[in-house]
Amino acid sequence: MPLLILLIPSLIFLIAVFALPLFRYVWLSFHADSVMTGLVAIPNQGANWQRFMQDARFWQDLLQTLRFAFVSVTAEVVLGLVIALILNQPLRKRALIRSSSLIPWALPTTVMALGWRWIFNTPYGPIDRLLQSGLGRSLNALGEPSIAWITTVYADIWKTTPFVALILLAGLQTIPTDLYEAAKLEGAGPWICLRRITIPLLLPYLGLALMFRLAQAFGVFDLVQVMTGGGPASSTESIALYAYWNALRFLDFGYSATIMIGSFAILSSLIVIAWLVITAVRNRSTGAFAK
Amino acid sequence: MKAARFVIIALLIWSLSPLAWQLYTSFCTDQALVTPFAPLEQRWTLAHYQSVLQSNPPFIRYLFNSLFAGAISTALTLLLAIPASYSLSKLGQRSALIIKCLLIGCALFPYVLLFLALLEIARYLQLGNSLIALAIPYAALSQPLAVLLLTNAFSDLPPELEDAARVEGLSVLQRFRWILLPLISPAIASTSILVFLFSWNEYPIALTWISDSNKLTLPVAMARIAGSSIHSVPYGPYAAATVIGSIPLILLVMVFQKPIVSGLTTGAVKG
Repeated sequence: MPLLILLIPSLIFLIAVFALPLFRYVWLSFHADSVMTGLVAIPNQGANWQRFMQDARFWQDLLQTLRFAFVSVTAEVVLGLVIALILNQPLRKRALIRSSSLIPWALPTTVMALGWRWIFNTPYGPIDRLLQSGLGRSLNALGEPSIAWITTVYADIWKTTPFVALILLAGLQTIPTDLYEAAKLEGAGPWICLRRITIPLLLPYLGLALMFRLAQAFGVFDLVQVMTGGGPASSTESIALYAYWNALRFLDFGYSATIMIGSFAILSSLIVIAWLVITAVRNRSTGAFAK
Repeated sequence: MKAARFVIIALLIWSLSPLAWQLYTSFCTDQALVTPFAPLEQRWTLAHYQSVLQSNPPFIRYLFNSLFAGAISTALTLLLAIPASYSLSKLGQRSALIIKCLLIGCALFPYVLLFLALLEIARYLQLGNSLIALAIPYAALSQPLAVLLLTNAFSDLPPELEDAARVEGLSVLQRFRWILLPLISPAIASTSILVFLFSWNEYPIALTWISDSNKLTLPVAMARIAGSSIHSVPYGPYAAATVIGSIPLILLVMVFQKPIVSGLTTGAVKG
């Protein structure tokens, strides 16, 4: 089995970086390890988990993170699909479209996160200037708890929509055109084609884009930390950011680990549910296609 | 056709206008930023660029740090992933599928949740404040993508090719060097550029591993400007920094857009 030896270095790295931390978190979550204990781990009989279950701030952050993830990913996939459908034809400026779609995605999140802080600045940023002169009132896009989270969603949509569109466009271009010609001969209109040919054949791409984006959005950190710092009034705080504060600001490693392993468990179950739903939908629609 | 052109223009404006605004801001005097109708002779300045380039350490330093960390991480990633993918492409269907599922699972994991344990590892092994050491977590985090992409490339090669080379008496290393690597070089190019982008942009781990201000990578250096004060961020110098920090990436994307897209889409199709 000399072939398997070639796999080992790669697997060791994976285990060290993905598996070890998870075991460490499980272990740490049953220990007090903070400034109070002099950063030495002392068993504390599940006190972390009790605190976790009752930690209103965590559950609020979880809701905020889910809200952020669902709204931004839905918008990205829907908008991305619309853009991809319109662009799905022989295009001349392919390189230009590709580059301009990739640039927002490729720039470091922190770079534009601070850029957004300036663009949405009240009262000097361009958005607020426009609103002041147009509507005569200011939006306070980053200072108002009920609005600030939408501003962060907007920044995420800006970064990722062109990218999602690009992936879906590549998926669209794998669909053989004779399928559409055959459907046209049978008298199918564009709507039927979309529902019976495009969407079912695009589902693997859609499903994948959806799952990856949801998982990423669930771990949103860079954008929020730099753009709002979790504020105003913790309204944009994500669970990753809360775990980060606990570790590096409150120096409570035990509780930070509890948050992370707890979040991981919640995310895993969400992914399993999402996957089940996607396969169910796929089975149903391919069934319809077969009929 | 008309709709497509309209969408293309809208996409361009959507993607590029925030950057254009940063470019504009970077040349405005502080005075012009707060009073829109400042007299023209007081409007434009290069002072922000001067302050960014002459700060201590100079901003260019961060670009080199990111470049360095990115290059080393890419090299290490390929070193681990190429043999692993070769072996994975030769494995039986079932075991290959199990490993692939594992890799996809890792790729789905929001790695930001790993930072605390990785920080502990860094402290324990004294890897903090080293740009070279950053390549260890980066290479590990890049394995799922790299191995999946390269395994696809290896699997697409006809097996007769290698058999023929073996019959001719080429050793494993010779086969790699003269036959396999040249044939999968497009996949290697896609993988390298994607891994490089990831390392260049990575934030949470660099943030927790590096505290020496001479060794900060670009994303962390940017965020530090933000953290310096919540209420008065120096937006002029910051915009200048955004512009300088964006130029290498924009060039990179424009030159390598083809391998980037092909890497991302084969990842999506076959992953």
